[in-house]
Amino acid sequence: MNKTVLIIITLGLVVVMGIIFSGTLEQQSVSNVEIKDGVQYITINAKGGYFPALSNAQAGIPTKLIIQTNNTFDCSSALVIRSAGFQEILPQTGKTEIDLGTPKAGEPIQGVCGMGMYSFKINFL
Amino acid sequence: MTTKKHTFHVSGTHCASCKILIEDILGEQDFVGKVEVNLKKETVEIETESEKSIEEIADLLTSKIKANGYALSVEKIIKAKEDVIWKALPIGLAFLLLFFILQKSGILNLGLGGEITPLAGFLIGLIASVSSCLAIVGGLVLSLSAKISEDNVNDTKTFLFFHFGRLFSFAILGGILGVVGNAIGINFTFTAILGILASLVMLFLGLNLLGLFSRNKITLPAGIFNFFRKIEHKTLTPLIIGFGTFFLPCGFTQSMQIVALSSGSFGAGAVLMFSFALGTLPMLLLLSFGSASFAHSKHAPLFFKSAGVIVVGLGLFALLGGLAGLGIINPLFNI
Repeated sequence: MNKTVLIIITLGLVVVMGIIFSGTLEQQSVSNVEIKDGVQYITINAKGGYFPALSNAQAGIPTKLIIQTNNTFDCSSALVIRSAGFQEILPQTGKTEIDLGTPKAGEPIQGVCGMGMYSFKINFL
Repeated sequence: MTTKKHTFHVSGTHCASCKILIEDILGEQDFVGKVEVNLKKETVEIETESEKSIEEIADLLTSKIKANGYALSVEKIIKAKEDVIWKALPIGLAFLLLFFILQKSGILNLGLGGEITPLAGFLIGLIASVSSCLAIVGGLVLSLSAKISEDNVNDTKTFLFFHFGRLFSFAILGGILGVVGNAIGINFTFTAILGILASLVMLFLGLNLLGLFSRNKITLPAGIFNFFRKIEHKTLTPLIIGFGTFFLPCGFTQSMQIVALSSGSFGAGAVLMFSFALGTLPMLLLLSFGSASFAHSKHAPLFFKSAGVIVVGLGLFALLGGLAGLGIINPLFNI
């Protein structure tokens, strides 16, 4: 095959790969944050990634993070949240409650799966 | 008669002993005086009293060492190599892209409701072997297999030892998890560091397959290389690597370890982990024996380079992921 053609194909593949990798964090339109009895609950679904990958929540109130798994076997079941000192393999199906304390404004919390391929971020405003 | 000095480019020198072999064979020719092989430059310098042209001598000498896989030429042959890498790049990238698209599409996240039976474990293994875990376990298998085939060691035996070791150790360790009911293989930092080590091995072997630094050109980490070469030939090594894959970071493996943990008995835990490993077997067998059959065909150079591209890609992916998992860098991707 012609070398030029091969180079063009290569560049094309690199561009497509770049598009796949540079996908921005999806923000859920429906709010996943709710405040009940003075406690803020943030719900994130873990299966083939974390959804929503980007959440906005209020700073300055006691906050709990609820991770929901539903037949989750992939990397997202192995969750690490460094700033909360949380490292656990989530149950395949169920809800895991993680105490985030009282987050400060401008200090986002980031969770990542064990292999580092999925992550989520919660901004506190 | 005057003694002339000729320098030829030599191809096919893949080992340190090649120097001795070539010097022996060429030295036996009666018109050849002194022979000096330079592995680093891939050149052969000979002194001769022959009046033949340099091209004729190259052909004549090539015919003597051709059977051993070497060839002499007056001009350095680089064109052919360049063409192969340009073919290998799109092939390797296409496979990587296919993998990432498959991963991103989410079709691998299908649910298996209810209780985890050995059959479900097998299915999870099948899925795991084409999903994120392929990046690390598959990449490692591909790089090691291609490397072993390239070195022409008895590869079938080595592969069988690896896969047997893997199945066996998954069963044993699964059983232990069932009895102990305690997390031995799921320390995050431990698995992440192991994963980073595996990705570094992949990068090293991948670059090696690409020929960016090959054995005789390597100068600095010669000690490391000799170590690799030594352990590559030990029977136990593939067994141990098979054993080690139990601890490699892979969400599916870790989930199954939890299931085995809660199974409560040696038998149940062993059957679960064994069936999971069995599920990952077809894909891994394909990778190792597929690479062996390619490695022994005429497409070998293209295969090694394409495999190199794939392995470097997966190695980078696993390395960046591992660093993000350890919290050293920010996660760069969500895939």
